[in-house]
Amino acid sequence: MTMNRHEPWDELVSASLTGDLSADERLRLDAHLDSCADCRATLAAFADQRRIVAGLRHRPAPRDLGARVRTGIEGGSRVGLPWWRRPPAILAGVGGGLAVVAGALLAIVLLNGSPDGPPVGEGSPTPSGSVIAVSATPVPSAPAPTASPVESAAAPSPQGSPSVTPVPASPEPDVYLALTGPFDNQAVTVRHGPTGETIAGVDAPSGTPIAAELSPGGQWLAHITQLGERGLNELRATRMVEGTGEVGETITLGESVAGSPFLEQLTWSPDGGYLAYTLANPEADGTDVWIFEAETGEWWQLTDVGDAYAGSWVSIPDSDGSMALWVSTAEGTVMSYLTLVLDDTGGHVESGDPAVAPLARHEGIFQPLLSPNGSLAIYWKGRMEQSGAEWLFSEGAAPHLAEHQADDGFEFTNERELFSDVTIEQDAFTSAAIAWGLDGDAYAVWDALWTGIPQGSGGEYPNVNRVYFGHATDPRGLTEIHALDAADIPEGARVIDVKVSPTGEHLVISAAQPRGGVLEAPAADLLLVKRNTGQVPDAVVVIRSRDDGWFGPAAFDAITEDEAE
Amino acid sequence: MVVSGWIPWDAPAVSRRAVDAREAEFAQLFEEFSAPIFNYVLRMVTDADRAADITQDTFIKAYRKLDTVTDATSTRSWLYRIATNTAIDDMRRRRNVTPMGTDEPAFANRPDHRPGPEAQVMASTLDERVQRALMALRPNHRQCLLLSDLEDMSAQQIGEVMGLSYGAVRTLLCRARGEMRRALSAEGFAR
Repeated sequence: MTMNRHEPWDELVSASLTGDLSADERLRLDAHLDSCADCRATLAAFADQRRIVAGLRHRPAPRDLGARVRTGIEGGSRVGLPWWRRPPAILAGVGGGLAVVAGALLAIVLLNGSPDGPPVGEGSPTPSGSVIAVSATPVPSAPAPTASPVESAAAPSPQGSPSVTPVPASPEPDVYLALTGPFDNQAVTVRHGPTGETIAGVDAPSGTPIAAELSPGGQWLAHITQLGERGLNELRATRMVEGTGEVGETITLGESVAGSPFLEQLTWSPDGGYLAYTLANPEADGTDVWIFEAETGEWWQLTDVGDAYAGSWVSIPDSDGSMALWVSTAEGTVMSYLTLVLDDTGGHVESGDPAVAPLARHEGIFQPLLSPNGSLAIYWKGRMEQSGAEWLFSEGAAPHLAEHQADDGFEFTNERELFSDVTIEQDAFTSAAIAWGLDGDAYAVWDALWTGIPQGSGGEYPNVNRVYFGHATDPRGLTEIHALDAADIPEGARVIDVKVSPTGEHLVISAAQPRGGVLEAPAADLLLVKRNTGQVPDAVVVIRSRDDGWFGPAAFDAITEDEAE
Repeated sequence: MVVSGWIPWDAPAVSRRAVDAREAEFAQLFEEFSAPIFNYVLRMVTDADRAADITQDTFIKAYRKLDTVTDATSTRSWLYRIATNTAIDDMRRRRNVTPMGTDEPAFANRPDHRPGPEAQVMASTLDERVQRALMALRPNHRQCLLLSDLEDMSAQQIGEVMGLSYGAVRTLLCRARGEMRRALSAEGFAR
């Protein structure tokens, strides 16, 4: 090529493709091309390239883009909030497939009225045990559980009735995890519940997410992921709001032996500042409690006793916002200790024994899980035995429901068995997963492993594969009829996680399909279930289908928009 | 232009009753440009979810700045400038976060696993190869090339979008084409 260094022929060739040449430049270029094969080749290559790029596949914009833009515009007063914390599409009255479907579901809810009244028909079990009295506060746009005649007659507890926290009445989760892509190249993202939009990416794991909890205020999402077939789980925290780090920043908090639901409790302090979690160490064959500090991103080992489990956080009354953690120990007689995680100087309490100088202690109580307003607790009673690196109940064990008196020595009062129609004696629930709803009344129990002879009308109760849905205001507690309809869960699927919607009437369930082999990508449905009673079947909406990947667990933000502002 | 099967911008009823010119103007803007902007951003960042987020933010910003547009002929450039800057901000924000922090195409190397006829798979593969080549370019080269070849903008219009002079655009575009030629060659395209 005869190229003058001061004549950028390539630039003229490039400009010629878009008509950006002057007449003089055009003449000069044409003359040059007649004598330069290299530049003719460049012209042909650039022209091909332009044709290739122009011919790229045109993809339609998301169906709900208009609705999202409008929501963003109308949410102008909340510009400072991350977009995924703005009011969900369903409440903003905007379009989109899920919103339409969920809107129809809400209509069903409103038409059906009270969700969990006495079942239609015969054979309702007689309630046993004492009654927890809770004054249910109506939620804004959906009916709250209505007290049955039995409940109305119940005597309030001597200490007075704890109130139910009013919360936004959206059944959709704030966020959920998604594992998508082919089996050998999968990606985990955090999705916005109402719209399915991606909020943050998480590094690709070798397994599936099985538990998740949003910090109050939604700054962090703590989650547990199975590490393939190794029998280990990994605990992580992903930043959800830009702060000292970027959205999507993910911190690995530790590895744990995969085990019972006792190991999968991720409990955030009420101010969202600390996460308590339990790790089962495969080498030391023991369990201990760890703490993650959201502000600094640091984490540390709180206990070093080999049989400790994290329970719920407690705000210390008449303090300047101090918080303590219920820590339980499994060996011998189960115990619960109310433990400080920071010392007088604000330093971390590390690798200690929770039995040393606790704020309070309770013998025979294990892993108290407090309702969001702290007035109620579900905990375990019974004897535990070590099983590998973890501990499981072995004898006379069952979950109980009680009131929690933070103002009166952190006592648990007015206790009763959660499953009112199961005869325990020497048998046991070895473990179960338990979740409170944000309304402080509804709760769900699943993965309940019963060691005794099956009971109930069909001889299959309690059933590890069923989800039990109850309300603290219901004097019956949990009974056989409190199981969700078997048809709610796809055939052959296994319930991975359950969250109770703030409405107190809906459950968000992750249901995993059995995997055909390592070459098959994991698949799980994310379902929204509206509980109906009697002859009315539950209403089920598929939030995300297993056809597109693994969806769940979901999570709700415990702090409302108003509180956030 | 309304693409069948998706929901267009719908001005609020109150504004319609009031014949709100601003709403009507924005509705027209959204209708005409939402799909092209989405595709432009999609080619910038590869990931459809990110592209949707950026497109959403682009139109929200556009709505709030609509009053600042005085020359009707520059509306398209103005909108693409907002989209370009929003995409750059997004890429910069994610740069240090793994894997979202990289500008690399997080999902570009993945085969399309959706079932479908052979022709669809082949078309998808071609699309992915071109997309990989685009993602191999520097971000400003990618923008310039996309504005030229995908959006069919002149050097003058590209200059309005990118805030560059006419001459600078021509130089930048030439370099981008050279870089793209090598990237396409690495993807197995002839020439």
